[in-house]
Amino acid sequence: MRVAIDSGGTFTDCVYLNGGELKVLKVFSTPERPGDAVLAAVMAAVGESGSVPEVRHGTTVGTNAMLERKGARVAYVTTAGFEDVIAIGRQARPSLYDWMRSPLPCVVTKELRFGVNERITAEGVVLRAPTDAELRELVAAVRASGAEAVAVSLLFGFANPVNESKVAEALSELGVHVSVSHEILPEFREYERGATVVVNAYLAPKMSGYLTALEAGLAAKFPGASLGVMQSSGGIVPARLAAREPVRTVLSGPAGGVMGAWRVARAAGFEKIIGFDMGGTSTDVCLIDETGPQSTNEAVVSELPVSAPMLDIHTVGAGGGSLARFDAGGVLHVGPESAGAVPGPICYGKGEHVTVTDANLVLGRLDADRFLGGEVRLDVDRTREKMAKGNRGLGIEGYAEGILRLAEAAMEKAIRMISVERGHDPREFTLVAFGGAGPLHACALARALRIPRVLVPVMPGALSALGILMADVVRDYSRTVMSSVSGDSDLQLLELHFDSLEAKGAEEFREEGLTGESERTVDLRYVGQGYELNVAAGEGMMEAFHALHRKRFGYADTSRAVEVVTVRVRMSARTEALDLPVHLVREGDGSQAVVEDSLIHFDGGWLESKAYDRDALRAGDRFVGPALITEYSATTVVPPRCEVSIDTFGNVVIEVQQ
Amino acid sequence: MTLSRTDPVGLAVFKSATHSVAEEMGAVLRRTSFSPNIKERRDYSCAVFDGDGAVVAMGDHMPVHLGSMPMSVRAAIDAVKMERGDVVVLNDPYAGGTHLPDLTMVLPVFVEGEATPVMYVAARAHHADVGGMYPGSMGLCREIYQEGLRIPPVRIVRGGEVVRDVMALILHNVRTPMEREGDLMSQIGACRVGAERVGELIAKYGVARLRELMRGLLDYSEELMRAEIAKVPSGKYEAEDFLDNDGFSDEPIRIAVAVTFDSGAGSVAVDFAGSSEQVRSSINAVYAITYSAVYYVFRCLLAEDAPATAGLMRPVTVIAPDGSIVNARLPGPVAGGNVETSQRIVDVLLRALALAMPGRIPAASSGTMNNLTIGGVDPRTGRSFAYYETIAGGMGARAGADGVSGIHTHMTNSLNTPVEALEYAYPLRVRRYGYRNGSGGDGEFRGGDGIVREIEMLGEAQVTLLADRRVFAPYGLEGGGAGALGRSSLVSGEEVSELPGKCSVAVKAGDVVRVESPGGGGWGLVR
Repeated sequence: MRVAIDSGGTFTDCVYLNGGELKVLKVFSTPERPGDAVLAAVMAAVGESGSVPEVRHGTTVGTNAMLERKGARVAYVTTAGFEDVIAIGRQARPSLYDWMRSPLPCVVTKELRFGVNERITAEGVVLRAPTDAELRELVAAVRASGAEAVAVSLLFGFANPVNESKVAEALSELGVHVSVSHEILPEFREYERGATVVVNAYLAPKMSGYLTALEAGLAAKFPGASLGVMQSSGGIVPARLAAREPVRTVLSGPAGGVMGAWRVARAAGFEKIIGFDMGGTSTDVCLIDETGPQSTNEAVVSELPVSAPMLDIHTVGAGGGSLARFDAGGVLHVGPESAGAVPGPICYGKGEHVTVTDANLVLGRLDADRFLGGEVRLDVDRTREKMAKGNRGLGIEGYAEGILRLAEAAMEKAIRMISVERGHDPREFTLVAFGGAGPLHACALARALRIPRVLVPVMPGALSALGILMADVVRDYSRTVMSSVSGDSDLQLLELHFDSLEAKGAEEFREEGLTGESERTVDLRYVGQGYELNVAAGEGMMEAFHALHRKRFGYADTSRAVEVVTVRVRMSARTEALDLPVHLVREGDGSQAVVEDSLIHFDGGWLESKAYDRDALRAGDRFVGPALITEYSATTVVPPRCEVSIDTFGNVVIEVQQ
Repeated sequence: MTLSRTDPVGLAVFKSATHSVAEEMGAVLRRTSFSPNIKERRDYSCAVFDGDGAVVAMGDHMPVHLGSMPMSVRAAIDAVKMERGDVVVLNDPYAGGTHLPDLTMVLPVFVEGEATPVMYVAARAHHADVGGMYPGSMGLCREIYQEGLRIPPVRIVRGGEVVRDVMALILHNVRTPMEREGDLMSQIGACRVGAERVGELIAKYGVARLRELMRGLLDYSEELMRAEIAKVPSGKYEAEDFLDNDGFSDEPIRIAVAVTFDSGAGSVAVDFAGSSEQVRSSINAVYAITYSAVYYVFRCLLAEDAPATAGLMRPVTVIAPDGSIVNARLPGPVAGGNVETSQRIVDVLLRALALAMPGRIPAASSGTMNNLTIGGVDPRTGRSFAYYETIAGGMGARAGADGVSGIHTHMTNSLNTPVEALEYAYPLRVRRYGYRNGSGGDGEFRGGDGIVREIEMLGEAQVTLLADRRVFAPYGLEGGGAGALGRSSLVSGEEVSELPGKCSVAVKAGDVVRVESPGGGGWGLVR
């Protein structure tokens, strides 16, 4: 029995298949011991059925440890003379014009950085290997430092791992976790690789403790149960591997949502989507085209580069809680400061400063009585009273509209960045809105970007868990090779690299009792460039590279030499497909779901509209905005003339009129 | 009433839209260029201009380009009657440029029915070599003609087609023509992407509304700056500091400033009278540099999200005596004015402002970019190469916080070249790259430490160094100690010889150049 569990701040969501039927349940999260809620959910799901659960888990344990900077005490071992590289980074400052700002302190403090007398060249030639005496000294020094985990990253360790292996072997006697660069990320650029290895070691003790305990807990209750973890790349990995390489699960949470949005939209017939997940403090956007979700190796988490494969999710600091303010020149700003959970927006009763949520409320876009199923009553009078002051003559509604326009401008910019700026035409996409505030703003954004359609998926509260349930098991392998691709011998050399990565992948999959399929790609660039484009390996890769370069950057030069920087293999084992539940489509106008008549403010005026209860809407219902569709975790705003239909899965599909 | 008051939302949306155009241009440039200077170190700037050539948006790129970009656009407008599909290139410091390695491209954006461009976009990038006496074009010269190829504003693209004659002339005069051509194409690409996005803005807003918004943005920026200046008590605040020497003699070079605030009018005059005369060496600054340095300092007084437009500088007057170190005349050489003198101008200005607004101004940062250029023939390929880098130093301590160690400050924010990228591309081996412990100045808050960097030559090469703060240390404030002086040396076998801050030496395979960058000044008395 497949069970997917997504840990959130308040709820732990669970989706599972019971006799071919999809079920959803929620339990309260247990933030101090998140595994307790996971176990409780599994127990509730399995119930008396006696099935052996195959559990898949999206966790924020790694993310939180990074954001709160509460990982292990990590020792960093590198080539002597380069101990400080991990702290210097790229020697640039975070804000250009703010001399009071400092970067976050390095997670590896000075006394935890160690140098080894060794050197390997770019070609992989060993200039110097550490002596046994030096290794003994190193081990003694690291032991004395009290390190709880060790990150080893030597210069050009990926070009020839012999020295790294020696160092790692010597350090193994310490009995603490050791992350080694040629295993974690055999790719060039010493700072980015080093930081990725450090993040891995930083998280390893915590993640491995968490997952081991969870696995043991599961095994005790359900002998034979398995545990997989959602990676930032959108693929599942067995818990044992996740414990060893936690850097790959740093953004486990958001990845589930993206995969869920993708699978639900695809089932509904929409292949190319832009995911739009707006929460309280930030908004995540991502693009999925016919080739699937886009990945990146350039993510930054808590000011540290993390070069493990991740879904290319772009985050902006604008959410429901973002604060509005006027500056000395009279111009309105929204965010990046946020009201947070405490004190929260004005309408929650405690906040003193105007937020995006307050603006939505005074414009009639939130139902004061049905917010979170009526658990929180929104205070319209308090909000209007506070917004009547300090609106600089815009009036309450004008002020609120301005706030929404600015918040939406920030999100529009984010979506442009992942679409237009990368050569995609938004008119070919469907905007899939989720998160507490996504559906509030989706139609306005779609209009601004000329996206023709908005989809608010069924089961929005469990979308992440659904994505986890449906994801494939995936492992990514890579190696920087830095080689030209002019002759046959070059291609044969590539072949050797691919073979060895695939052999490693096949071995790891076999250990887990899985059979993987391999997908080969290469990172190419014109000789001399500093950034690469990833294309499928094999015949036609050069043409694909030139074409992609033109699409992304406006030009291509087929006469220039091209080099392969990194070869990549993605091994995946497909997860058995599941059918989302369907409902009989019957023509209807949704009137059975109308809970009240309401007024919504659009484009400078109040319009009479209807509020619908989503749970009462039926497949086949059609109606035209203006309207509000409220459900437990979100509210969808339907502007005038936009046409709503409920599809056979229960998704809300809105055709957006420009 | 200004637009920022009547339409505070529309203006904010427009500000964000134009800024993202400049940012996107920068992203294209970074991802498609070939010089490590551009792709790894990000020594470039992109900006969007109104029809008069005033900056309406600039990407968060290189501060030293802030005030000088519009001068390039102005020079292009004055020299060339640009038509649809044209791109003008220039690098002449005496006609809109800064120093020769910075090549600027200007592209006009036209609309149907208007004879003159409604907007311009420009992209500037520091090329790794533009010919001249030294590989990398960053060495000490006696006059500008020795520093490299000087390009007045000319079309490099006409009617959408690259002008092959101009391109050939440029490529013929530089050491690494393949790389140059790639970078030039990448700059053209960035301008085209910018123009496309500007076209979308025009389509969205219409020309009349667009002009209104651009005017509004400039007025709004001006208002922000006036409000800030009005907080400072009226008065005249004076300071001086020195560059070590010009590299040929030991004579210190004085930079002096008098900053006069008029809080009633919300204006300020920055006068560099009393600064030394220009020198016969490459550390002269042209006016554009001095203006940029002043722009940068005043920009920093505002919030991070204030728009970097021409309007910010309306309340600020910059006076620099003609023929001085801060406003050189032809044929003064200027390669180092951009990188070294610009930093000292900032130091001097901050020192004066520390008197006007104590507590808000940090102690002196390292005050030099430690420009290191290595060129020669790569023994692995037989091709010539030119490599250029800058080495960060210590940040000056702030009231309430230590200075950051090993970080670029003020007029530059270029990244380091990864050791592994560098060694793939050049016959060089990095031997050491780390903090220079204890080099930050003492104080209640300590100055940041500098950096030690050692590079070994794998073949014969010419090493050129352009660095300062080897004689006059970065000052502390409020009783804080000075940062340690910078130091450079050549290690040849067992022999270690000290190198002057500004020099060019022939070295052989196995030699190691070591640069120790200055620390930042401390803040406050040690408790």
